[in-house]
This record gives sequence, C-alpha cells and structure tokens, in this order.
Amino acid sequence: MSLKNLVELALREGATEAEVFYSKGRVVTVETLRGNVGFAEESVSDGVGVRVIARNAIGYSSVNDPRKYEEAVRAAVRCAKARGPDPFLKGLPVPRQYKSVTGVYDKRIADMGLDTCIDTAAAMVAGARIDKDVAVTFGKFSSQASETVILNSNGVDAHDVDTAAYGYVDVILKKDGQVSTAYDYDVSRALDADFTKIGARAADLAKSSLNAVSIESKTCDVLLGPQAFSDIMEGTLLFAINSENVQKGRSVLADKIGKKISVGGLTMIDDGLLPGGLGTSGFDDEGVPTQKTTIVGDGALETFIYDSYTAGKAGRESTGNAVRGTYQLSPKVGPHNVRFECPRGDVVGETGDGVYVNSIIGAHTANPITGDFSVECRNSFVVEGGVKTKPIKSLMISGNAFEFLKSIDGMGRDDRKIGAFVVPTVRIKDVHVTRGSQ
Amino acid sequence: MEFYDVREIDGYTTSITYDNGEVDEISENFVTGGAARALAGGSFGFTSVDDVTKVGAAIKDAIAIARRLDRLNPQPSIGLAPIPKIKKSAYRVKKNPADVSLEDKQGLLKAIEEALGGGLVKSTKVAYSESYSHHLFRSSEGDEAEFEVYRTGFSCIAVAKDGDNMQMGRRSYFNSGGYEVFDQCDPIKLAGEAREEALTLLKAGPPPGGRFNVIMDPELAGVFIHEAVGHASEADTVLEGDSCIEGMLGKKVGSKLVTVRDDPTLVRYGYYPYDSEGVPSQPTTIIEDGVLKAYLNSRETAAKLGGHPGNARAGGLMRPVVRMSNTFIDNGEMSREEVFEGVDGIYLKGSRGGQVNTGEGIFQFNAVMGYVVKDGRLEKPIRDVSISDHTLKTLNNIARVGNDLKFSSGRCGKAGQGVPVADGSPHVLIEDAVVGGSA
Repeated sequence: MSLKNLVELALREGATEAEVFYSKGRVVTVETLRGNVGFAEESVSDGVGVRVIARNAIGYSSVNDPRKYEEAVRAAVRCAKARGPDPFLKGLPVPRQYKSVTGVYDKRIADMGLDTCIDTAAAMVAGARIDKDVAVTFGKFSSQASETVILNSNGVDAHDVDTAAYGYVDVILKKDGQVSTAYDYDVSRALDADFTKIGARAADLAKSSLNAVSIESKTCDVLLGPQAFSDIMEGTLLFAINSENVQKGRSVLADKIGKKISVGGLTMIDDGLLPGGLGTSGFDDEGVPTQKTTIVGDGALETFIYDSYTAGKAGRESTGNAVRGTYQLSPKVGPHNVRFECPRGDVVGETGDGVYVNSIIGAHTANPITGDFSVECRNSFVVEGGVKTKPIKSLMISGNAFEFLKSIDGMGRDDRKIGAFVVPTVRIKDVHVTRGSQ
Repeated sequence: MEFYDVREIDGYTTSITYDNGEVDEISENFVTGGAARALAGGSFGFTSVDDVTKVGAAIKDAIAIARRLDRLNPQPSIGLAPIPKIKKSAYRVKKNPADVSLEDKQGLLKAIEEALGGGLVKSTKVAYSESYSHHLFRSSEGDEAEFEVYRTGFSCIAVAKDGDNMQMGRRSYFNSGGYEVFDQCDPIKLAGEAREEALTLLKAGPPPGGRFNVIMDPELAGVFIHEAVGHASEADTVLEGDSCIEGMLGKKVGSKLVTVRDDPTLVRYGYYPYDSEGVPSQPTTIIEDGVLKAYLNSRETAAKLGGHPGNARAGGLMRPVVRMSNTFIDNGEMSREEVFEGVDGIYLKGSRGGQVNTGEGIFQFNAVMGYVVKDGRLEKPIRDVSISDHTLKTLNNIARVGNDLKFSSGRCGKAGQGVPVADGSPHVLIEDAVVGGSA
C-alpha cells in the first residue's frame, strides 16, 4: 500500500488528520575484533511511523514489516481514541516552503561499498599503531545513506535524502606498569573528513596521557575541550531550552526569558540550516521548515525551541524543532545544531594556571533539572603558562551547568561538531576540582 | 571453518505516558525481522532484514560479506564453543497484558499519578510499557530454539519545586513477565516514595568532597557491580585487552566478603531462556569469596578463554555481543543495622547512572541522594553526590556485606545496543572511597 493510501486509510478509520513518516536507511559498518578488522555488516531497513488525530487526541504507531502497515494505521487510530480529547492540540503542520540546505548528501558516501569501508577501517586501525604498546580496543567505520518522506492529510509532502560517515577508534596503552586510554572519532555528512587519521590522534592522546601526576583539590580555571563542554551541556542546557520541559515545569529557565543567563557577549543559536551540520535539514521531522533560532542573544535568554504541539500550546509558531531518532518514535522537541557566537581566542595560551579536560566520564548523571553535576575527567592536563604540560591521573570536577554559563571566560577557535552542538574549547572560571582516587 | 546462524523476531511494544495528569502518548510499535550472521575463517559477516520472507537471501548475503572480508583482510581462524545440550522451558506469562484493556491500564497509571502529586510536587510523569517478542533461532550446525518473552512495568517521576530549587524523585518497577508484575510490587507505595524523595531532596545540602567510608544501598551497589565489575568480566572486553581483571582468573580481586554472580535463569528483568546464539542460559559465578572465577562468554570467547557460552545478547536485530543478564553481589551475613553500626561516613542511595573505564579500572557513579552518617545514624540529606574510584581498590575495601539483596531493573548500553538487565546487591560498606562534591 502506498504511503498516500495509508493517510487515506487513517481518515477512513475515523482520524480527522493523519501523517505518515517513512524512512529507509542503508548502512555499511565495519568493526574491529581483537584489534583487527573482523566484522562487517550491510543492511537496508525501512519503516513507517503513523501519527493520527482522532477525537482531538494524538495516537501513534510504527511498523517495519510492509505486511503490517495497515495494522499500524488502525493501531494509531485506536491509541488516539483511547486517550480523551487534548485541549492544547492545534493539529498537524500545514504545507510551507522549505529552504534548501547544503552539505548533507554526498554521493560518494551513498555509493560507498563494503570494500572501501573495510579499507578505511583498516587504515584507521593501522594509524593507531604509531607505538608498539598501543592496542586498539575498538574501531568502527560506517557509512550510511537515508531517505525520508513525510506526508500528511493537510498536504505536507516532504522528501529528502542524506548521508553520513562515522569513524571511531578507542585505544589502550600499557607501558612499564602504567595504563592510559583514549578515543577519538569523526562524523561527517560529506566525505570531507580524513578518517584514516583518527587512529593516530587517539594513540597520540593516549601517549601524552601516560606518566600522569596527581594534583591536589582546588578551585581554578578549567578548560573544557569540545567533547567535555558538550557532554556537560547536553543533558542540562539542552534539556532546559526545550519547550516541552518548560511547559511541564521541569526547566529552570522557564521564567528567564529576557533575563541574563550567561556572560554578556555570548550568543547561542540553533541553526537547522548550517551547511554540513549533523542536524541540518530543510524541514524538521514533522515537515515544518527549519530555521536559525537565536536562543541566547548577548547573554539574555530570547526563546525556547518548539515543535508544532508545544508551539500550539504556547500560542506561537513552531521553530521547526520536531525531531525523532527513528520512525519508531513520535516527534519530540529537539535541537538541530547549537552553536555559539562570541569573541574567540587562544584560550589555552591565555591560561596561566588551570586544568584542561578532554572528555568526562558520567556526564549523563548530571541533574537535568538543577544542572548540578560531579563527574570524573578523562585525558586531563595541567595547564601552566599557556601550555598543556603534565597529564593528570584522576580528577573530578563538580559544579552547575547553568552557573558555568555565567562563568565562561573565553572560547577557542577549535569548533567541533558533537551531537547537537558545534562547540570549541571553553574556559570556565573558578571551578572546583577534587583529587581522584590514585 | 564456515558457519551461519539466523534469528527471527516478531513482537510489539505498547507504551502509555502520563505527563502532569494528562495522557502524553499512547503508542503501539511492531517489530519484525531477521538477522543473519556468518563466519568465514576469522571474519564475521552480518545483515538484517525487515521482511522475514527474505531471511534466505539474508543468510547468503551474510556469508558473502564474511567471505569478502576474510579475503581482503585475512585474520586467524575463529572457533566457536559448542552449544551445551540443556533442555529449557521458558517462563510462562501469568497474565497476558494484551488481555487487560487500555482503560484498565490507564486507570492504574492515574492512581499512580495521584499518589505522586500535590503540594510542592509541581510536575509528574508516569510511563507504562509492555513488550512481547517471539524468537526463532537456527544455525548451520543444526541447533534450533524457539521461545517468547514478555517484559512489563512502569516508571514514575515527581518534580518538586520550592522557589528556584527544583528536585526530582523517581521509582520504577519492571520485570520479565506480563501484567502479573503489578502483583509483585506496590505501585502506589513506590509513587509515594518517589514523591518523598523529591521533597527530601529540596531540603538536601551539597555533599562534602573527599575520602569517606561509604555505605551504598542495594541500587547503587548493584550499579557498581554491573558497571565496574560486570563489564570488566565480559570476555570480549578481556580479549580486547581493555579489562582491568585480564589474566586474573583464580586470583584474589576483592575482599573475601564479595561473591558476584550473573544469572539469566532468574526471572528478573535480565532473564532469558536462550541467548542470541541459541545457547541455553545458565548462571555464572564471576567472583567467589573475593577470588575471580569466570568471565562471561559468547561461543567465540568461550572457545578462546574457556568457560561456558550463554551471555551473547543482541538488541533487536543487531549482532550478538557478550552481555550481562541479572548481575548481583550475593548476600552476606550482616543485617542492614549491622552494616550501619558505628559507621562515620556517607550513605549513598539510588543511581542516576554511571560510567566506567574498564581498561584503567576507573568508575564514576552518581547517587540520587545521600545522607551524612554519624555513628551509624542518618543525619542531614545531601544531593548531587557522586562516587568515583578504582574498581579493584573498591572491591578490596568492601568491609561489610548485608543480607538484604534487592534487584533493580534497567537497560544496559554496549556497542550501540540496549538490552534489559537487572542489577542487585545488599547494603555494603566501602572503606575510604572518593566522593565528589562541591562543599
């Protein structure tokens, strides 16, 4: 049954509005076993998510077996009817013009065969062997191409294709009774990253982390590398700017519109149109055009991000922020590419005395509501006179993500795409660091 | 050697979410498909299909991928331990959740929500889910298995607000089985506990940082044993050189009070009758009286390291990976009161998750809340407190083990796949542990 027919079937089953979200993905993945390439997968999968409105409530169902498409439509209508009317529901999106986006599809990735993926993975792993004591504990390269179609009964008819390539290497270095570990990765929508260098970068980091020293607990400047900064902000700041959490009383920023929430001069934008961004697309996952949304302007909170439902509830327009990880999930509010505009500098070089943290362990344990966290640092270094010097054995940092925003003391020029963020190294003033266990 | 195996799955999940007293979502998701795995020499090939009528083609593709990889990148040949011939009877569901009406389920959730809310609790969330899956397994060696598994349960969250201070309390109960899981717990009482937790956290202060004697409750100690010890005992991790307990079989790795088991035959959330390689499940004693006894194995790792297979699990149609099931510190001899007796330190309760570096043997866990303990008595509550330390040092410093073993259900992520697991422990006392805090 065609997708259009599924929409019509839903209306015949008693839905007043209906949407079908179809996605199809082809993925080739190559992974290591015991340090060498030893596993390969090539799979194609597709499925539909059916969202309907019946008796003024939403119902959802998903299915991956084409023989059950119609069953899923009936299940979605049944779910909607079981709920009871939702007074805040304003309906599914209506058709609007989409802006074109660039850098999200690369035919070379779409056409990438098993052999090329195997070669790339093997080169990544070989690159890690710059030192005979380095062993690759996990390596992975994957290329994927996806197609998305969104149709609804209001006339939304969106179609797009995109690609992504991902490489990851995790290494361990054991030398003279000392152990250090490190990882690195790259992800790109186009084939513009040199994946073969990932292994060497991970191995270099592990080497420079060996012979680590302990430092005493203190309060000092902390330089959070892009990975560490995004890890801390993902579960806290991105949670708080989400209109769903605001409307449900779970965001500490709920009453802060127009107020200063960060240092002055800092602007934070969710840019759904960013060329080559990991979250870039002409339309969001319910077919609303994506846009550039200034969330924080010169330190003041300007807006939250919205999908159609939360926008309807707030009596405003969607910011094009409906996202769904897969067709199995109904759309929820989520960011595309959150980036920062502020003066940039050589943040390490300007630091007299501090600590540089590459990544952290346990970021997802941060309290999303209060922003409080206490995490273990990985691959961290003493910074003295503007230079990263000795590696630090074990270190915990504690603080509050929202207080960190007010203590940002500089941003580097090393922007990196990490999940929903595009962020550089960030210097935070006066952070409490606790000496670790070793 | 050449080999293949294939799994077919057919199942559904129903979810109902209540948010602030209103239904937030009702959804039904259907998942069907097949996953084929092939081994050629030292290389695995894998593919999955949504349409089970195409499983034959999937097997051919998996074999072709494995052969191609083996030719381009030849590696030493991989052997597989044989599948033990144990007859299995799977747990039979007592109350099929599909026989309970949506209205009855919504009624239960509304009652839970009412017990959560009111007063300073400004926001509530209750989520119910039931899942069913039917599994068929067969291999080129002629092994076959067929079984079905239900998993059912709920979680609830209360968010309390007092001025700018906002805190969250949570409880959940999930188990393998059908609607009978609600006879095994008291959902209304659990909701009351979530509410109390949020209200207590409003009054809690920041934790002190430094070294303390720490008592962990069963939930946090269960997370510790799963994350820090369980993952390091997964034989694939050992073979990758990424485990801090590599080469220590038969050696003392912890205090003699510590016995750790992984038991997929227990009807807890991590229960399964057969693993994803068609191996009948059986219990493993990982650590006995402080001595490392065994790793957890797949067929491949058991052939290399010895031990029995049966811990290869796959998330849906993904590839099988060595995983835990129901992992726990076994009961000691002390009552809860005896564990606390005379202790000056910190009591940590609940887990907001954690992370571990198995290679360096370092872990970090965040407790939901804690209390300062003076002479065995709970004093002021503390929040946003975490514990971070060396795995082996911590195992060695376990000075008291209670006899009140309790399991918690969760999902464990590894290799990009999530599988249901249970972690358990009695109350334990750890001497000289590092607590992260800001005060």
